[in-house]
Amino acid sequence: MLFNTPAFEQLVDALRRLPGVGKRSAERLALHLLSAPGEEALSLSEAIVEARRRITRCSQCCNLTDRDPCAICAHPGRDHGLICVVEHPSGAMAIEKAGAYKGLYHVLHGALSPLEGIGPDELAIDALLRRISGTVREIIVATNATAEGEATALYLSRVIGQRFGTAVTRIAHGVPMGSGLEYADDATLAHALEGRKQL
Amino acid sequence: MVLRELHTDGFRCLASLAFAPGRGVNVISGDNAQGKTSVLEAVLYAATSKSHRTNQETDLVQHGRPGFRIRVTAQRPGRDVAVDATWWHGEKRFKVNGVAQSRVSDILGKLPVVFFSPEDVELVRGTASIRRRFLDMAISQLEPPYLRALQQYRQALKQRNELLKQDRVTGDLLDAWDEQLVRHGTVMVRSRQGFGQELARFAAPAYDAIAAREGLELSYLPDIEVGEDYARVLLENRDRDRRYGLTNRGPHRDDFELTIEGRPARQFASQGQQRTAALALKLAELKLVRERIAEYPMLMLDDVLSELDTKRSSRLFNTIPEEAQCLLTTTDLTTSAVPSGLACSVFRIRNGALTPA
Repeated sequence: MLFNTPAFEQLVDALRRLPGVGKRSAERLALHLLSAPGEEALSLSEAIVEARRRITRCSQCCNLTDRDPCAICAHPGRDHGLICVVEHPSGAMAIEKAGAYKGLYHVLHGALSPLEGIGPDELAIDALLRRISGTVREIIVATNATAEGEATALYLSRVIGQRFGTAVTRIAHGVPMGSGLEYADDATLAHALEGRKQL
Repeated sequence: MVLRELHTDGFRCLASLAFAPGRGVNVISGDNAQGKTSVLEAVLYAATSKSHRTNQETDLVQHGRPGFRIRVTAQRPGRDVAVDATWWHGEKRFKVNGVAQSRVSDILGKLPVVFFSPEDVELVRGTASIRRRFLDMAISQLEPPYLRALQQYRQALKQRNELLKQDRVTGDLLDAWDEQLVRHGTVMVRSRQGFGQELARFAAPAYDAIAAREGLELSYLPDIEVGEDYARVLLENRDRDRRYGLTNRGPHRDDFELTIEGRPARQFASQGQQRTAALALKLAELKLVRERIAEYPMLMLDDVLSELDTKRSSRLFNTIPEEAQCLLTTTDLTTSAVPSGLACSVFRIRNGALTPA
């Protein structure tokens, strides 16, 4: 029987460590990988190794990239006076997809969390401070709206304010465009009301 | 709200149950360990996603079953509500009118209930944390922003306390967490203050009505007063906080005081007075919720008659508003305490099976 064999359990455990994968999905994925033709599992593992080898952190914005500096940092048409700070590459990807932002990014790779042993040294905060020069006009903090994301935003505004005096702004939280108020959750609505603007 | 039907499967010792109580007072009578409390507990779980007896769902599962299902249908002004609460193979799922809900804040308040159990005497004689839990639970059912502030406050407090224990704590880092304690703590204190005042207003007459004498007073004791500069208090206490490795000041230290005839009920009241005061708090909550949402929550009284003498019992029945639905458990099969004029349905429970009497 397959179950309880160490090799199977090891694979399931490894898959479970991936974000959004629970016990059942992990078992399903593991079973699929094991019952599919051998090349399929092999090509997946090769793809992972290859991607890990080629993709590194950009020396400037710390985002994931296959060349250094990354395409966005190297782009002459981007506004190099604006830096948008996000927790994870997924945040930068989301904003980039929206297409309305023409500045640069900075990826912290996490948020402050003493409980997980994450302080400023574990995040790409020094790298951010090194980027701030006279040409940077504004730092937009787009960390998540969690306790940790908010604390990180506040910490950045303190540190940047003290050392550079560069403007630090926080993205607004509001009602999704093109949808009715009734579809927004309570927290977002409350935030949107607090952050209302004069017409 | 009026509970129309309760279905349970695999919950505690209850047999697969389909229970349809009437309007007004419903008496569930049976001997000890037959499942009386479990019926109320099932409704409470569907309404709040929590049990009053345990924090572990495994305790709620019938022996040998993979989980439990609860379905509550209720009539509320305007629309009926159906809540499905399941805990199956370790996974908790809630549906409201068939739509899956992932957050507690989206569940609370859908089935407004007020629950009294004999252990609630601890509200009067127990520690402040028990009274805070009562405030938090009651206000969360009424004000979704309160629950959100509470969750964020708790998370920030945990993070700050952890930070205080670390060597690399700096002022800038503490500032980051302080700001959140202030933002969310301020919301909490404002809500607790308003709730406390209203509760005090309803608790005094509720106590009078059952005890037939005046004397219960309630006052909210915030650690940080409304309008006080909490940020500054945190700043002033930083050295002390670092020495203790925890946050000394804030709404997590709040309490409310109950006095009976001018003396603190916690130390000076008799057992009977303490029980009556605890019951008065719950009846006050019933009235308060009625005032806020223009509808009576369902009242559940677990084993309340064994706590009160005959006079107090019959006065209790007189204080239950006619429009409010009530589920009441008792070991007394004669239900002699129920006033003869009162419309009530009686059910008997034996080995987890419920039948109309």
